[in-house]
Amino acid sequence: MLMPKKVKHRKHHRGRTKGMSKGRTEVTYGDYGIQALEPGWITARQIEAARIAMTRHIKRGGKVWINVFPDKPVTNKPAETRMGSGKGNPEMWVAVVRPGRVLFELSYSDEVIAREAIDRAIQKLPIKARFVSREEGF
Amino acid sequence: MSELLLSAETGRKEGTRPSRRLRREGKVPAVVYGLESDPVAVSVEWMQLRQALTTDAGLNALITLNINGEEHLSVIKDLQRHPVRRDVIHIDFLRVRADQEIEVEVPITLVGEALEVTRADGMVDQTIYNLTILVKPTDVPDGIEVDVSDLELGGSIKVSDLALPAGVATTLDPEEVVASALITRSTLEAIAAAEASEALEDEELGEGEPAAGDADADGGDGDSDD
Repeated sequence: MLMPKKVKHRKHHRGRTKGMSKGRTEVTYGDYGIQALEPGWITARQIEAARIAMTRHIKRGGKVWINVFPDKPVTNKPAETRMGSGKGNPEMWVAVVRPGRVLFELSYSDEVIAREAIDRAIQKLPIKARFVSREEGF
Repeated sequence: MSELLLSAETGRKEGTRPSRRLRREGKVPAVVYGLESDPVAVSVEWMQLRQALTTDAGLNALITLNINGEEHLSVIKDLQRHPVRRDVIHIDFLRVRADQEIEVEVPITLVGEALEVTRADGMVDQTIYNLTILVKPTDVPDGIEVDVSDLELGGSIKVSDLALPAGVATTLDPEEVVASALITRSTLEAIAAAEASEALEDEELGEGEPAAGDADADGGDGDSDD
């Protein structure tokens, strides 16, 4: 699973996710992509699940790019713990995503299979997302 | 390359809110600059713009902008879109001279099927999708086609291999790779996994012939139960 090698601070504030994605809103490397339509946190497990769903469906002859990296630690308090006594322990890593962001890209010769693979990957994500293809011309 | 006429209105207010009001009226805010003249903030009608940009020339169409009765030959330098709705929110027009070379990007399209590559479970990986070229505004090609049907696994097509039309020169490094034929890591893993499972199945069949007999017997019991 994706996670940072080392971090400056072990625990982050949650923050607010406002506005649209500032960049990476177009398919750059592959032919098709998954574009986020709402803001959210995507965990490293969800990214990995989506990647596996895509690569298993295309089987051979394709290439997948992951355009997001889970660099934000999320903490949880243990179950049945009283409130207080400080912030909980880092439990997982998430990528903060804003609408418009292209999360994954896929290069594959057959558009029908690529679309099916991307639909399967979207099922693994906690946010609304859609299939996009490389824009050429107007 | 086709030449198109587009009328632009001057005197629009700049800023987010006036621009949003313009967009609600079906106009697109734009700016015209180049040829050592001052930049002019203009607005163009969305429907006219759409007609101008949906020709074969695409975004490289040579547009004659009519600004307050003056005609300016121009090309689109930049086009901003909304990240989710994908509608055009702003355009930069660059004034050009018909006899002066400009730098534009044209799409590279791969044509043909690399049969040898697909037979070996490989893929053709295109690394450059747009080629930056120096050309006169009237000679901009609609696109550059590259035939990949002769490509073999491990082979590549470089910028120097592209057949550029007369009067067109590229600013890219000739050694830069446009497309290459390769087998991806995930494909190699999938092949290895398939081979391993086949080997396992063969082993099970070889060792477990009596076991298969037992299984049949079990199956038989199951049938009799039904």
